[in-house]
This record gives sequence, C-alpha cells and structure tokens, in this order.
Amino acid sequence: MKSLTTKAMIALVLGGVLTLGAFLGAFLWAGVPDFGFVRTAEQVDSVRYRGPFEQTIDEARYLGNYVGYRVEVVGDGGQTFRGELTSADEDSLTLETDSGAVTIVAPALESATVFGSEYGRPDWGQKIFYFHVPVAEISFIVFAFAAFYAVRFLMTRNREYDTKQRVSMEVTLVFVGLTMATGILWTKAAWGVWWDWEPRLTTYFILTLLVVAYFVLRNSVEDEERRAVYGAVFSILAFIDVPISFFITRLIPSNHPVIERGGLEGPMLISFIVAQIGMIALGYAIYQLRMGEVQLRDRIEQAKTLLER
Amino acid sequence: MSEVHDQKNALEVRGLTRAFGVRKALDGVDLDLSERAFLSVFGPNGAGKTTLIKVLTTLLNPTNGTAQVLGMDVVSDAVELRTHIGLISHNPLLYPDLTAEENLLFFADMYGVEQPEARVAELLEAVELDHRKLDLTRTFSRGMLQRLSIARALLHRPEVLFLDEPYSGLDPHAMDILDGLIAQIRGNHTFVMISHDLDKGLELCSHALILAKGRVVMFERREDIDDAAFRQTYRSTVGMGVS
Amino acid sequence: MAGLSGRQLRAMLRKDIVMELRTKEMIMSMGLYALLTMVVYFVALSQAGSSFDPRDIAAGLLWLAFIFTSMLGLNRSLVHEKDQGCLEALLLSPVDRPVIFFAKAGGNLIFLLAVELLTLPVFGFLFLQGEQMDASSLALLPLILLAGSVGISGVGTLLATMSVNTSGKDFVLAMLFIPLMYPLLLGAVIATGGAIVGGAEGVGVFWTGMGWVVGYDVIMLLASYGLYEFIVGA
Repeated sequence: MKSLTTKAMIALVLGGVLTLGAFLGAFLWAGVPDFGFVRTAEQVDSVRYRGPFEQTIDEARYLGNYVGYRVEVVGDGGQTFRGELTSADEDSLTLETDSGAVTIVAPALESATVFGSEYGRPDWGQKIFYFHVPVAEISFIVFAFAAFYAVRFLMTRNREYDTKQRVSMEVTLVFVGLTMATGILWTKAAWGVWWDWEPRLTTYFILTLLVVAYFVLRNSVEDEERRAVYGAVFSILAFIDVPISFFITRLIPSNHPVIERGGLEGPMLISFIVAQIGMIALGYAIYQLRMGEVQLRDRIEQAKTLLER
Repeated sequence: MSEVHDQKNALEVRGLTRAFGVRKALDGVDLDLSERAFLSVFGPNGAGKTTLIKVLTTLLNPTNGTAQVLGMDVVSDAVELRTHIGLISHNPLLYPDLTAEENLLFFADMYGVEQPEARVAELLEAVELDHRKLDLTRTFSRGMLQRLSIARALLHRPEVLFLDEPYSGLDPHAMDILDGLIAQIRGNHTFVMISHDLDKGLELCSHALILAKGRVVMFERREDIDDAAFRQTYRSTVGMGVS
Repeated sequence: MAGLSGRQLRAMLRKDIVMELRTKEMIMSMGLYALLTMVVYFVALSQAGSSFDPRDIAAGLLWLAFIFTSMLGLNRSLVHEKDQGCLEALLLSPVDRPVIFFAKAGGNLIFLLAVELLTLPVFGFLFLQGEQMDASSLALLPLILLAGSVGISGVGTLLATMSVNTSGKDFVLAMLFIPLMYPLLLGAVIATGGAIVGGAEGVGVFWTGMGWVVGYDVIMLLASYGLYEFIVGA
C-alpha cells in the first residue's frame, strides 16, 4: 500500500516537473514555425520579419503581383533600369526610375529582379502540439493496457485484473477528454472552426464514444461479476474496432497534420520528447493514485465483510 | 449398470468456493450425497443456494474447490454432465409463443433425444397435457406450465434433478399434482431442491442442508433431524441476513 | 457432436422462425418503424426543395433506417430468450455456446434481410422515382445489403445479449452499437452510394466500400464469436 502511493507520488512529481519543463521549452526555447509567409507586413495582423528576399522573373505578366516593389529590369539589348514598379501586365511593364518613367514592352524583357522584405506568419497555435500529441498517444497506450487487462481477466476471472482494467479505462477517459479539449482549441485556432467532420476528428470522436459507452454499460449492470465480464468483452471489441475506424477514413482525404520523419529538430524535438515522458509519468501517476484509492475501498469492504461474520 | 451406480455418489463437493473479490457466494462447501437421495437446501436469501445449484448444473464455474455430479466434474466434464441432469425452476423455461408440443420437441432437439416424437408424446401423457399439446403455452395456467416444465426437464432421462423452488406460485391443486409427479419418479432419480417452505422441504427430503453466507450450517440425514432443533437453527440463520 | 450441433442449430433457427411467423412481432414492428422513418425523412427534407440530387443522399438515408430498425429487432430477439429464463434452459442443454451465437445471429440476419427487402422498394418509390439509375450497378446492391446485415446481426447479437441484462436495455444497446458500427456503416453507405450513382466510377467506389465492409465483418465476427461464450455464460 505504502510503496504504491510513494511510486505514484514520485511519478506525479516527475511528470509535473517534466511537463512544466516541456511547457517552458515549447514556449521559450523551441522555434515557432510559420504557416507561410507574406511579402508585405500590412497583409496580416501578427507577422515577423524574416529578412530580405529577391526573386528573378522573366515574363512581364508574372510581375503583376509586385507592383510597388523595387525592381531591376534588364532589357533584351542588355540595358538595365532600376526603380519602383508602377504597373505590369502581359503586354508591357512600367517603372519609375530616378530619371523618369520607363515602359518596356513584354517581348523586350530579358529579366526582372524583385527586391523586398519577407514576413513570416508565426503559428502560435502549433504550441498545443507539445501537449495534444503526447496526450493523444497516452490515451492509446492506456487503452491498450485496458484491453490487455481485459484479456487477462477473461482468462483468469481474477477480480484484481478487473480493477486494473476499469482503472485503466478511467485513465483513458481522462486522456481522451484532454485530447478532445486540446484538439478542439487547436482546430479553432488553425482552421477557424470549433469542429469539422474530418476523418481524424471523427474517428477520435468515435473512440471517445466507445470509452463513454464502456462506462454506460458498466453502470447499468447490477451483478458485479457480470459487470466485469461485460466491461472486459466490450473494451476488447472497442479496441479492435478503433484501428478499423481509423483506417476506414483513409477513403476520405484528411486535413489533419502529420509529423513527417525528420520534421522535428533541435529544441522542438527535445521539448516534444520531454513532454511525452512527462505525460507518461502523469498517466502512470493518475493510474496509481486511482488504483490506491480503489484498493483502499476494497480493503474497507473486506473489513466490513469480515466484521459481519 | 445399477450396481455401479449404487457405489458412486450423486454429489461430491469439496471445499467449493465461488467468490468475486471479497464477496463469497459460496465459501468452502463440502457435501456428499448418495444416489436416489432427496436433498432439500434451505437458507435465507443470499445464502448461496442458487449459486450452489448453478455451479452443480455447470452454469457457473467454481472459483476454488471441486464439485462432481455422478462422478463427473462440473468444469471438465460439463458437456457430458449436462445430458445427465435436469432443472425445474420456478421459472417455466418455456417459450410462450410455442405450443406445448413444439416446446418439448425443441428441447428434445437440443438434447439430441432419439425418436423425439414418441418421447414427447409419452411425456405429455405422463403430465396429463396431451389434450392441450397444440395450444400455445402462453395460454397455460401456472400449474400447467409447471407440469410441462417437468416434462421438459425429464425429456433426456436425467439421473439428477435440480428443483429451484418449484412450488412457488402454485395453487394447492397444482401442488398436489407436482407432489404426485415427484412421487412417481422419486425412486430412480436423485433430487436437489431449493426451498423456502420448511414443511414441504422436510416432508420430501432424505437429507437436509442449511446454508448461510455461503457456508454449510447444518447437513444431516432426515432421520437424524430433530424437527424443533432444526427449525430453531433455520430461524437463527434467517436473521443473519445477506452476506 | 457435429451432428448434434447441426440439429441444435436447425432447431433454434426453426424455433425463432416459427415464433416469428406466429406472432409477426419483429417483422411488423421493424417494418412499420422503417415506414415511420420514411415519413421523418420526408419532413427532414421538406425544406430542401430540389436543390440536391436524391441519389447522393439515398444511401445514407437507407442505412440510417436499417441501423435503427435492426436495433429494435435485436433487442426483441434477446428479450424472447430472457423472458421466461429460456436462455438458461439453452445453456443447461449440451450445446456448444457458439451454436447459440450462430443460431441467434442467423435468425436476426433473416429478419433484418426481410425488413430490408420490404423497405427498399418503398424507399425507391417514395424518394427515387424518375431518377436516372444504372440497372447493372443496382444489381450489386444485394451484395452490400447482405454484407452489411451480416455484420449488423453478428456484432448486434453479441451486444444485445449484453444489453438485455442491463437496466435501460434500448439505450445501452444504442450506446454500444452505433459507435462500434461506425466503420461498417461508413463502408456500407459508400458502397451503396456507388451502386446507386452507377457508372464505372460508381462501381469502383462500390467495391472499395464493399471491401471495407467485408473486412469489418471478418474481423468483428471472429471477435464476437470468440467472446460470445463469456457473455452468454456471465
């Protein structure tokens, strides 16, 4: 009993420290990726300067986007003009040089180089990645444990496994709830909507419903052993069903981001790994604390039974 | 055949425990019962009577200990054992939307009874229901249902019959008929009966068992029982409540 | 024992069918329920005018009707067994537990298919009259109906055997059944949609959906078959 609580407390402190560390790392240390970039700062609300850019273009019609920029134009005779681009279309382009306006017809354009500044659009919403992803991973890991204990229970009919299985499912519910909450926040930040019937979200929603259904089932069965058997059988079925749910949505293209191999580097990767370890420790701590409580209850029950005899 | 039978016990139960966690429905029950005996099981609600019958009829597996019926283990020989036992419950265990005959024929198929039509006709006559055999059992009275239920339990010629409060809900007339039927088959069957009715149980039995909180409080042959003391013991267990 | 198992399976199927033909309880309730769903569909679509192609939503509406009527039937079929303790009598007989599973699932499959066959023409008459249809791809429809119904009755029988022992049977069954059925339902709707729209592309979509449904059937039926013994004996 005592060692159980000690283990739980160590895991809790470790998990707390690591998660906090990952939190600081994610916000203060890890880089902020950009959604994309813009050429003029006025285009969006929050941007940051990424440095100068220059781009060489050889057809007049493509210069239409760069009206107002400084350009260096080379004509087909080798002559060079510098100035601010005032207009450009498929027929000709005009620029304002120090010595007056110059118009060049499209066929006479050899090349034009555009000079400007580039601004990034920082993706602050991405920070939730350091929590959302580890939490989602833990929800799957704990669910796998629940299914494992369910099999053990059906094989042995030992009540201990039923308790472990039920507590694992409770922890799964906690992490599934956290995943849903962080996911919905991110969806709002990144896609501008709270919910989208997008394959990944849909299947995770189904998983959430399955976990809730497990508790609905348990709570509606009177007999203790029958409750345990039903719970075990249903969690195994649900565990088999979840991957099918995830794969079947491959029929529909998904918007949900995936981490590409080698896509995370340096501070981002380290913060992410720290967050993962911290989250595992927290998951373990929650499991052990709940387990300790359940076992204490059982002992009280046992003491009562003995007293009655 | 019969000589071999006489040698073996109908029931042989050793340290039978049925528990889930700390709750023990049966807690170390030991029992021996010879063939053709009639055992009445008494005890308050929650004493473990139904659990005992469920273990002996292979519906539940024991947590600890062993139980043998007719020398067959309730776990390892369960399928074979099921063909040798029958259950008459207070629930008729019949389909209300089938006729009496269809019900019996269905269960004959389930037990793999040979020449089912002849056997069913024979039994319907024995329980005096052949005139109603084409009626849905939905239309039957409680007593008729119970008679048909006895016919169902006897279809496959079981050697041990388990009775789970067979008298509950019967009117006096139906009780008399049930008494008559039990008396008829008593000579070549072993009976295990759960009863709340002390008088009825004692009247029929050759052995009596009182269970309380999953344990054997008293197990004696009928002739060794002092009725007054027995009633006193029984009453004291009823006060013990549910474990 | 193989001979006896066959005899038991036949007896249980025959018993369910005889009872159903006598009371017509399941077919009537499921069929009328399906009909009521059609009325609800009409109301739901009443404000949409003609701004949509009925062929695009027909598959979804059909399977919605099937899934809800099937839950009705599944519940009834197990309540029959539970009513007078007949399930206990079955368990007392020397029957292999999987035989009970196959018999109950088989009975449910037959009734579900019967209701689907009754619903389909009514649905077509009410919602798809005068639409362009491709007869050759429509001929594929029975395949997906069968594959989908096999999954529904197999997994549904297991779940109904649990829910019949709970307080609040109907709600518990729906709560367990619908999320667990999600992959099958999606595959079935995709395949049925493909068959209704038709053409080479539609047939391609049909077989993709069909593949998913068959895959689901195989995996989930094996799991249900393996787990049924625990449920029915609990």
